[in-house]
Amino acid sequence: MSAGIEPRRFTDSPLGRRNPTVKLALLFAVSVALLFVFDPVTPAVLYLLALAAVAATARIPARILLLAHVPFVGFGLGLLTVNALSRPGTPLLEVAGLGVTAEGLTVGVSLGLRSMVIGVLSIGFIASTDGVALMTSLHQHARLGVRMTYAVLAGYRMLQEMPAEWQTIRSAHQVRAPLRSHGRPRSGVRSFGRSAFALLVVSVRRGERMAQSLESRGLGLGPRTTWRPVPLGRADWWLALGVLLVLALVFAAGEALGFREGHELLFARGAGA
Amino acid sequence: MSTTVPGTSAAAGQVPSTVPAVELDNVSVEFPRRTGPVLRKLDLRLEAGEQLIVFGPSGAGKSTLLQLVTGTIPHSVVAQLSGSVRVGGTDTADTGVAALSRCVGVLAQDPSSAVCLPDVEQELALPLENRAVDPEAISGRIDAALRAVNAGGLRLRKTSALSGGEGQRVALAASLIAEPEVLLLDEPTSMLDGEGIASVREAIERAVDQYRPAVVLVEHRMDEYAGRRGLAGLPGRAVVLNGEGEILLDGPTPQVLTEAAAELQARGCWLPLETELQAVFGCPGGLEAETVRNGLKELAAAHPTGASVEGHPHSTDAPVLQAAGLSVGRPQAGRRRRRSSGPAKAGFQEGALLANVDLALRPGEIVALLGANGTGKTSLLLTLAGLLEPAAGQVAGPRPAMVFQNPEHQFVAGTVRGELAYGLAAGSEPVVDRLLRQHRLEHLADQNPFRLSGGEKRRLSVAAMLAHHRPALLADEPCFGLDRRAAIAMMDAFRAAAAAGRAIMFSTHDLRTAATVAHRAVVIAGGSVIADGPVFEVLAQREVLARAGLALPALLEWVLETFETPHRMRAVLSGLDAFVPLDGEGSRP
Repeated sequence: MSAGIEPRRFTDSPLGRRNPTVKLALLFAVSVALLFVFDPVTPAVLYLLALAAVAATARIPARILLLAHVPFVGFGLGLLTVNALSRPGTPLLEVAGLGVTAEGLTVGVSLGLRSMVIGVLSIGFIASTDGVALMTSLHQHARLGVRMTYAVLAGYRMLQEMPAEWQTIRSAHQVRAPLRSHGRPRSGVRSFGRSAFALLVVSVRRGERMAQSLESRGLGLGPRTTWRPVPLGRADWWLALGVLLVLALVFAAGEALGFREGHELLFARGAGA
Repeated sequence: MSTTVPGTSAAAGQVPSTVPAVELDNVSVEFPRRTGPVLRKLDLRLEAGEQLIVFGPSGAGKSTLLQLVTGTIPHSVVAQLSGSVRVGGTDTADTGVAALSRCVGVLAQDPSSAVCLPDVEQELALPLENRAVDPEAISGRIDAALRAVNAGGLRLRKTSALSGGEGQRVALAASLIAEPEVLLLDEPTSMLDGEGIASVREAIERAVDQYRPAVVLVEHRMDEYAGRRGLAGLPGRAVVLNGEGEILLDGPTPQVLTEAAAELQARGCWLPLETELQAVFGCPGGLEAETVRNGLKELAAAHPTGASVEGHPHSTDAPVLQAAGLSVGRPQAGRRRRRSSGPAKAGFQEGALLANVDLALRPGEIVALLGANGTGKTSLLLTLAGLLEPAAGQVAGPRPAMVFQNPEHQFVAGTVRGELAYGLAAGSEPVVDRLLRQHRLEHLADQNPFRLSGGEKRRLSVAAMLAHHRPALLADEPCFGLDRRAAIAMMDAFRAAAAAGRAIMFSTHDLRTAATVAHRAVVIAGGSVIADGPVFEVLAQREVLARAGLALPALLEWVLETFETPHRMRAVLSGLDAFVPLDGEGSRP
């Protein structure tokens, strides 16, 4: 029933056995580090390394890995186009009356590749991480409040049932909708709005009842125990160390070989142009 | 205002030093935007391990009473509370809901919102984790709790894959696993079919036996809940709330029901059969009593309106809805259905819920669709309504109307009036006014549909469908969640619509309702229609009912054995309904 929204998971893999909080933190760390990169080479190298690492450790079938890229490629291309066409700098060529600048192209490619790096790491993270384990681990290792943790988990269950609920509401409205001339029920933006409102009301009530159920199970009581803690072991620390080391090496190589450029690139000649 | 039935103070024989499980002292509750208090100066004391059932008309404050014990009032719901509520010796005003949950377990109506986590194991571990139980001990207690509710095999299941009865047993296990002193049961079987009820009832019995909590039960389907044991299957003590928020009676269940029978019947409550018969004939003993039997026989002979059993006027007309060789597929949530009218794909058939259904609905007839949960009643209705593509075969006939199980799913407008006018041509105000009058919705015309009471919502959703001149009306569990008076009113509306020439098909779990109103019954089980014929003939076929997992209520069993003609059988059933006064419905603020 939930096939529509639940991604397939590959938790039984080397990456799947690592601690979810550590994985999330590393994803965050790489994203932050990339904020300081505006050359195309660094993210390109990082992308290739990340792709190889994810392919090797997450056991995601190639087809799914490829398909999951689509949104990130789209986003990346968007960034590339906007930057190439709108950033001031040395003119390179002209496309449909708009000038492409060298700086714009460099920054655009860099930003596009940046989204690809974050994208491939996110794919690896999502595909290899069980939602419940993530929440439990965030509670255990990142001090996420217990109420927040279980609210998200209950919300996740509600989300699982929402497509069925939506389908029912749409049918329920369809049977009431006036017919158009060719015999099909009328369905437009307003009809979707009505269905959405019904879904909202029904879901809010449901959420209320679930919240009461959770409270009546004693959620939020003083000290609590965790039945099956998510392990955080030596392998997780090795993973963290490894990723950070590779990241540092790529940055260092960029400095040494002179291909790395920071945000100075954004303003270097742009202001003068 | 409360009267205690003499001879049996509930607390008698209890060790005096025991802290009462629940103690209400002069409690009044008032909600904003409602005139008058819901509960008025209530005093109630429930000893440890004592079992209580609460009766009262809808809106009398039964759920409010439960919310007081959980602490939802005053902590989560905005309400004016005076007096004191103590649970296990703690004043609820000083303690949050979570802290109160140390002493209180709750089993609510709807298993799908009572179970919150993705896995059964986690669901059961949560209450223990929250109470800081040693992780080493948790696994053993999960096993014990699941065994106590007859659900040992469910431990490794996903909660999204549980049936209603299974979900409710898991929720029960979760509410008892921390061994609370008080267990609140809020219509725990209302979403279940016969088999589900039996499993949950047995689970509650076993679990209560094992964990020995004090119990407060609110339940509508008393006979099903009590099972074969009749009144003895209900909790030993009963409290009746009158419509004014006061305790009318308090004492041992059989005595209380004897005294309150007439009052509860007059207010349209569901009652155990024995109590209902007592209210009507003034004599205890149920179907065993001679006076009762004679009274029922008189009803059979006397009541003239019970005549329309098979001789409905238009039944020889051409069908207005006809299914031929129909296979019903499962609704595919979240996936776009192809709207093409081409032949069904071959692969679709394997998931079919029902195959080879041949059905015809003729003008003026009322057909009851019977079958256990999950057999495909809803999907069949959806397919007949043209909302679900048939997996094979076809449905012919003009566009039918359909009323969904949850009326809220169908609301499209901001007011009751707008709801009725939706889709009607301009200038149809007179039609809307007539509908408002007919379905007793006039006083609510400018209210928001979502704010109505359960019975009013249901009436509105049916009225809105009857506004259109569609020849067939399909209804999915139209009496679900209604009190008896509202259910009877709903069936009256169906009779009137059928008399006006419409064909009606409704699904139900309640065989008595089916026998009271339907001309024909269609039973589905095991992926096909296993019976289709005059309702009393179908109900008399034991092997059909057994195959479909349907249990005949005692009254129907007796009626089928005793009377020769369906007219008489029908006359008894509708005669009994006629003792419930229909006025006063919908007058609540």
